[in-house]
Amino acid sequence: MNNAPDYMTILKIDNRELKSRLAFFELTDEDFARLASLRDFANKYTHEITEALYDLILGHPETKPFFPDENTVHHVKGRQNAYFLGLFSGKCDLGYVENRLKVGAVHEDIGMPPKWYLGAYRRYLSLIYDRLIKEPRSPKELSDSFGSIKKLIFFDMSFAIDTYIAANLQTLGRHQAAIRELSTPVIKVYDRVLLLPIVGTVDTQRAQQIMEAVLTRVVQDQAMVIILDIAGVPVVDTKVADHLIKTTAAVRLLGAQTILTGISAMVARTVVQLGVDITMMHTRTRLADGITLALDMVGKRISDKDPLKDAATN
Amino acid sequence: MSASIPILKIGANLLATVQIELSDTVSDAFQQDVLTTIEKTGASGLVVDISALDTVDSYVAGMLANTGKMARLMGTETVVVGMRPEVAATLVRMGYMLEGVNTALSLEEGLAHLARTAAKRQGR
Repeated sequence: MNNAPDYMTILKIDNRELKSRLAFFELTDEDFARLASLRDFANKYTHEITEALYDLILGHPETKPFFPDENTVHHVKGRQNAYFLGLFSGKCDLGYVENRLKVGAVHEDIGMPPKWYLGAYRRYLSLIYDRLIKEPRSPKELSDSFGSIKKLIFFDMSFAIDTYIAANLQTLGRHQAAIRELSTPVIKVYDRVLLLPIVGTVDTQRAQQIMEAVLTRVVQDQAMVIILDIAGVPVVDTKVADHLIKTTAAVRLLGAQTILTGISAMVARTVVQLGVDITMMHTRTRLADGITLALDMVGKRISDKDPLKDAATN
Repeated sequence: MSASIPILKIGANLLATVQIELSDTVSDAFQQDVLTTIEKTGASGLVVDISALDTVDSYVAGMLANTGKMARLMGTETVVVGMRPEVAATLVRMGYMLEGVNTALSLEEGLAHLARTAAKRQGR
């Protein structure tokens, strides 16, 4: 992926955050020293552990497709070894965290769901444990060593999960922006005549967007008339009517006019029954009539063709 | 005298281009100036160009609405032109619809509007 998002910034990870997280996972200098002392163990078993881990991943029908060919497998195994050895580096700074975030981002990029990621970690932990008990250690040593490894692995997972969530939120944000844009498609019908078909529910936030879009475009295009077509609005209640009235008033302040079209029998009935006065707005039922009225306002007329005359000019 | 807004006479109309933020004092003085100039010149139309203003508060909005009414009493039609979208949105949100004030998109259209009104009046 080009231009990978900067998760360090998005997740607001700085030294303070790092410290607080280390404290919560109860990772102390003692843990890191212990991990560093296990480096020989790590070097000895890293390949074995990686192989066994990928036996699980490549043996499952749903995770296998993420690693389609030998090259990819070879590549990720190399990464895995480096990761494993990294656990025993004995230090944890912002650089380490950045590395962890990248791991999460890679998984998110290839679309690997967190369930497989977490499941693989489970296997990882038991693989490590199996190797730890192989060597002569006192029970206290064993429990301390494995405890430190567990702490750091859970710590790592917390970053990866954060990346997953942040990436999803970003996607969501992009979609919302796209929807916002799509929700106010102002169309130029004719010189100085605009049309905004409103489709879907109009809540306060959307009404504000609509007003903003309408006013900006009216000034941009120096439009004399803007037609608001509400045929696609399922419910026109007092609130919606109020928004429409406000938009009309604001458009008038700019020096342009509004025509409201798409008023169904039901909408007409509700609006009057609700006691909303929209008589100061130009209203029409059919969009076509609205366009005719708008053209009239800009001094144009739609007329029938004269067959004789047209034949003569051709 | 502090900053003031020049009021120019073009043909039968007056043109005031507001290019400074209107404080309460300035806007009172402006209203006074406009009315005096109308009295002196007998102009039939007045265009107030507010395209340079990025904010219009309730005091100024009220002043504009009132000036329009006062000018009408003196036989002068007022058009406010060039209001910015964000200004319009804010005014409406605050409940200032400026009913009774004529508006136009640009100075040109404002003058065209005045010409139409003048023609109508003469026709009668």
